[in-house]
Amino acid sequence: MGLSEGEESCLLLDEKLLRFMDQLELLQEKRNTLNSLIEQGWFSISKARYSMGNKQVSALQFANTMEPLVSVHVRTLDNDDVEFSTEKSPPEFSNGSVKEPILIEDIGPQEEGIRRRKKTKSDGTEKRESRGTGSEMDPEVNPVRKGGHNPHQDPLKWFGILVPQSLKQAQSSFKQVIELSAEIAALQIAVLNTRQELKHDLRNQESSDGAELNVSTGSKKEAEVPLTNKS
Amino acid sequence: MAGRGKLIAVIGDEDTVTGFLLGGIGELNKNRKPNFLVVEKDTSITEIEETFKSFLARNDIAIILINQFIAEMIRHAIDAHMQSIPAVLEIPSKEHPYDASKDSILRRAKGMFSAEDFR
Repeated sequence: MGLSEGEESCLLLDEKLLRFMDQLELLQEKRNTLNSLIEQGWFSISKARYSMGNKQVSALQFANTMEPLVSVHVRTLDNDDVEFSTEKSPPEFSNGSVKEPILIEDIGPQEEGIRRRKKTKSDGTEKRESRGTGSEMDPEVNPVRKGGHNPHQDPLKWFGILVPQSLKQAQSSFKQVIELSAEIAALQIAVLNTRQELKHDLRNQESSDGAELNVSTGSKKEAEVPLTNKS
Repeated sequence: MAGRGKLIAVIGDEDTVTGFLLGGIGELNKNRKPNFLVVEKDTSITEIEETFKSFLARNDIAIILINQFIAEMIRHAIDAHMQSIPAVLEIPSKEHPYDASKDSILRRAKGMFSAEDFR
């Protein structure tokens, strides 16, 4: 028992419409979660502001140098949908950015070495040696490295060293919001693509229906002619 | 790194931007251009629109988050943006809850069910 072409395309259209509805439902669900998480975040920020002081949690506290701790990887799928995946860079320096901070840190021990050894010439080679010895002998470099001003530092530290728990809660809810927003962005694109497909298919269906109708009315007329002749 | 991750930009009121920066999305690039804009009472619509357009033009931004009440101010610019990347996401703000009927994307999707679309 085979279905006609028209029926098949109707079934496909129904399927797409159902998919579209599912996507919309999922989008709404995620939106609701996002909204409540953002609300939670604001509430925690307000609590932190109440305990720290009005001006202690504001745009004025933002650092002068910032590096993103979260990045989004974009992947285009076969059906033109886009997938966004968030990636957190680790609290330590990520691979790509190791060089710069180390170069900055190296200045300290290097200068220290030169200052100590007043007798030696200040050659480039000497400098290199002193850098080597400085880093070897000095186990105290590590805490300096951690505490030094770097763009990768936790944004919580912009607001002080001992921040209230509520600010940490705000941070965690906004981290969740960021992940969720990447999912929602991908879903929005999927919704729009499905809509476009559906619209395109509907037009095709209508035009083919119209053509069939014309053909069938034409053949009817032809069929009627011999009948009238006979009579 | 083979493919460097892209950024999330945010245009919003102070608390929204502070929250997202706490989450770790903030960046100041080599030209010291931030990927965020704090909209104060005295921020002009032109400035918001220019910033939005500059975010659209940057190829290192994948998602733009914008408070819905700010999106309302530059609705024409948002509606004119048809590309999928950067994706524009409207989010609620403290004083203005999220209204799905104003969302550009949902309005486009809703268009599916109007009588004209079935013509």
